[in-house]
Amino acid sequence: MRLPQVRRLQVVRHCVQLTVLLSLFLIPTIARYQNYVSAREADRVIEKWQGTLAGGVIASVDSVFRALPGGETERAGSMQRNRQRIGRYTHQVRGSVWSADIGPVSLTDPLAAAESVVGSRHFPWVLAVGLVIPVLVTMLLGRVFCSWVCPAGLLFEITDALRGVLRFLEINPRNLRMARGTKYGMLAAGLLLTFVVAAPVLGYIYPPAVLSREIHDFVFATFDRAEHGRFGFWVGGMSWMAVVMLTIVAIELFVSRRWWCRYVCPGGGLYSLLGAARPVRVKLRHESCTDCALCVAACPIGLNPMKNQMGIECDNCGACISSCNDAALGYGLGVHQSASIDSDGTDETLAEDAA
Amino acid sequence: MESKLTRRRFLTRLGTGAFTVTGLAGTGLLAGLGSAGEAAACVRPPGALLEDDFLATCIRCGRCTDACPNRCITPFTKEAGSELALTPGARQFGTPVIFPRRKACMLCNGEPGDKLLCTDACPTGALIPTLKTPEAIQEGVHMGTAVVDTTICYSFNGASCGACVRACPFEGEALSAGLWERPIVDPSACVGCGLCERSCVHYPQAIRIVPRPRDWSVAS
Repeated sequence: MRLPQVRRLQVVRHCVQLTVLLSLFLIPTIARYQNYVSAREADRVIEKWQGTLAGGVIASVDSVFRALPGGETERAGSMQRNRQRIGRYTHQVRGSVWSADIGPVSLTDPLAAAESVVGSRHFPWVLAVGLVIPVLVTMLLGRVFCSWVCPAGLLFEITDALRGVLRFLEINPRNLRMARGTKYGMLAAGLLLTFVVAAPVLGYIYPPAVLSREIHDFVFATFDRAEHGRFGFWVGGMSWMAVVMLTIVAIELFVSRRWWCRYVCPGGGLYSLLGAARPVRVKLRHESCTDCALCVAACPIGLNPMKNQMGIECDNCGACISSCNDAALGYGLGVHQSASIDSDGTDETLAEDAA
Repeated sequence: MESKLTRRRFLTRLGTGAFTVTGLAGTGLLAGLGSAGEAAACVRPPGALLEDDFLATCIRCGRCTDACPNRCITPFTKEAGSELALTPGARQFGTPVIFPRRKACMLCNGEPGDKLLCTDACPTGALIPTLKTPEAIQEGVHMGTAVVDTTICYSFNGASCGACVRACPFEGEALSAGLWERPIVDPSACVGCGLCERSCVHYPQAIRIVPRPRDWSVAS
């Protein structure tokens, strides 16, 4: 069965990704603003930090809060109350893509949960509560976290686009292939290591967790510095995990296209396994296909939609659907599909060279 | 579709395997080296499991950090600890920690909700959900114990201060005033919130929170 087409699917998807990335910056910023409001310092901070980055950010958050209904009050006392009242709503969204709280809904990355369970040899109920939605969504739609939520996914898509710029400059980036099974190896070995050292280790190299943490610490460090009278841009607050991220970006840029998501990501591996039997899949209509291989070049995960070989790793991003000029591809319902995880065919090389 | 094992494919797989093994061995080595120097005992947020269980269960997501209304919980990083000469071990890196001297836990006094907010925010149960009633806090919160340094405390040295006693949320139980308002700590009632250390007017602080030891248990 074929599902109805969503128009401008890639635009919608990128908007969702951008919103997530923006929230990673906004959540700690608003948290800090609320701290200043609670301490009745907000007005003083805005005045004192005028003309600086931190001051500008706090001032703009403040003006947004004032513009919201019920926020624009002249009297100082009620202003304070209104800010706090609005703050109570914004405080409903907490955490990051590693684990988040949206109102009463708790969401935890299955990889985080797996590490916690394996490390502590214990499965508490609280953990199960946060897992319900991510696991159900993944079982239904597959690895959609990677294509719709993961902030590193967006970063790597930008890196992928930059490869085109490199090619234009005639600095031909290499495209090293690795076995797709590597990610399952990473997952298994990482969980084994977690079990041995009894502390989560994959969270320190897993890009969405790293980005979430580094952005949070960066925002907090910026305000900490401002409180000590030091302004301007500085990488303070970031840790060696940022170096891990930079290394991955460098590899993706020069050595291997979408290297992390295609071959290495342990979280992607776990999501792939969870979504192995997903009913929502990209389906090919053979009679419309003209064998142009545009979809093969478009696939960020390096699969071959033209051969209807999506396996378990497809993240349902729909890049192939959008790239198809003949409406041969579309989302469909049905579990059956050839499930080869190691399907890096030769057509892909041709298509990429042509592109 | 599955083709024969070409040289290219064989080499790719060999490289992949080597990559995985070396990468993980490197990470393991890092963790191993770090845990050797993992001595920094630190004050954990309220309701925390024992240190070893806590390190295994906590996923370093930072939700408790964001939930804390007093912003006393911070991720344990090198910068965060540097002011107090505390360095996180590799397993402790990024875990939530409280430095009472900088900011102490006010046990969510005056905040909405019936549970301590950080314990409510924890997705893994590394912080056990704890109600805000005095009884539940006494039973479930053991961050550390206040210890008075009588050689520098004003009340023990010819003055009368009592700042820490008045700061204590369990005044009269955990911390009571003796002669000349000398602080008397009852370790069985002290939850280790650190408000006494924060309020101490002496520098360096004459009353400090000693984090509970690694092998701490309710019985002891």
